[in-house]
Amino acid sequence: MEVLKLVAIGVVISVIAILLKSVRPELSVMVTIAGSILMLLFIINYFTEIFNTFHQIISKSGIDSNIFWIVIKIIGVGYLVEFGANICADSGNNGIADKIVLGGKIIIFLMAMPIVTSLFNIILELVP
Amino acid sequence: MGIEIIFKIAIVGVISAISNQLLKSAGKDDIATLITLATVVIVLFMLVGMIGELFDKVKSLFSLY
Repeated sequence: MEVLKLVAIGVVISVIAILLKSVRPELSVMVTIAGSILMLLFIINYFTEIFNTFHQIISKSGIDSNIFWIVIKIIGVGYLVEFGANICADSGNNGIADKIVLGGKIIIFLMAMPIVTSLFNIILELVP
Repeated sequence: MGIEIIFKIAIVGVISAISNQLLKSAGKDDIATLITLATVVIVLFMLVGMIGELFDKVKSLFSLY
C-alpha cells in the first residue's frame, strides 16, 4: 500500500518539474531536490524495523556487534551518497556526481578497514 | 512533511514567471530580475530546512556522527 504513495509522489514531482522547466528552469531543479528529499524521508522510517530485527539476529548469533554498527554506517553513507549524486546528475553536471560517488566509495572503504583487519587476525589465529 | 511543499514551490515559480511577464511589458526589467532572485532565495530557504531535517534523521538513525 505504501508503494502507491511513493509512486504517486514520484509522478507528481516529475510532472511539476517538467512544468517548471519551461517557465523557471532553476526552480525545476529545486522541485526535484525537494521531491527526492520527501521520498527519502518517507523511506527512512522502514530502516528502523530492518535494523531492529538484524540487531536481534546478530546479538543472538554471537558476532561482536561493532561490525554490525560499521555495516549500518556504511549503509547510511551509501544512502547519502546516492541522494547527493543523483541530484547532481539530475541537474545535469555528471562530473560532480561522479566525484561524490568516488568520495563515498573511499569513505566506505575506510570504514570497512577494521573488518578486514579483524578478519585477517582471525585467519592468522587459524594458521598454526 | 507532506507533498504540499512541492506545490508551494510550483506556485512560487508560476507567480514569479507571471510577474516577470507583467513587469517586462510594463517596461521595468530591473524589478523583474529582482523578483527572480527573490523567488530563488525563498525556495532555497525552504530547501535548506528540508535538507537539514533529512540529514539529522539520517545521522541519528545510522549513528553517523
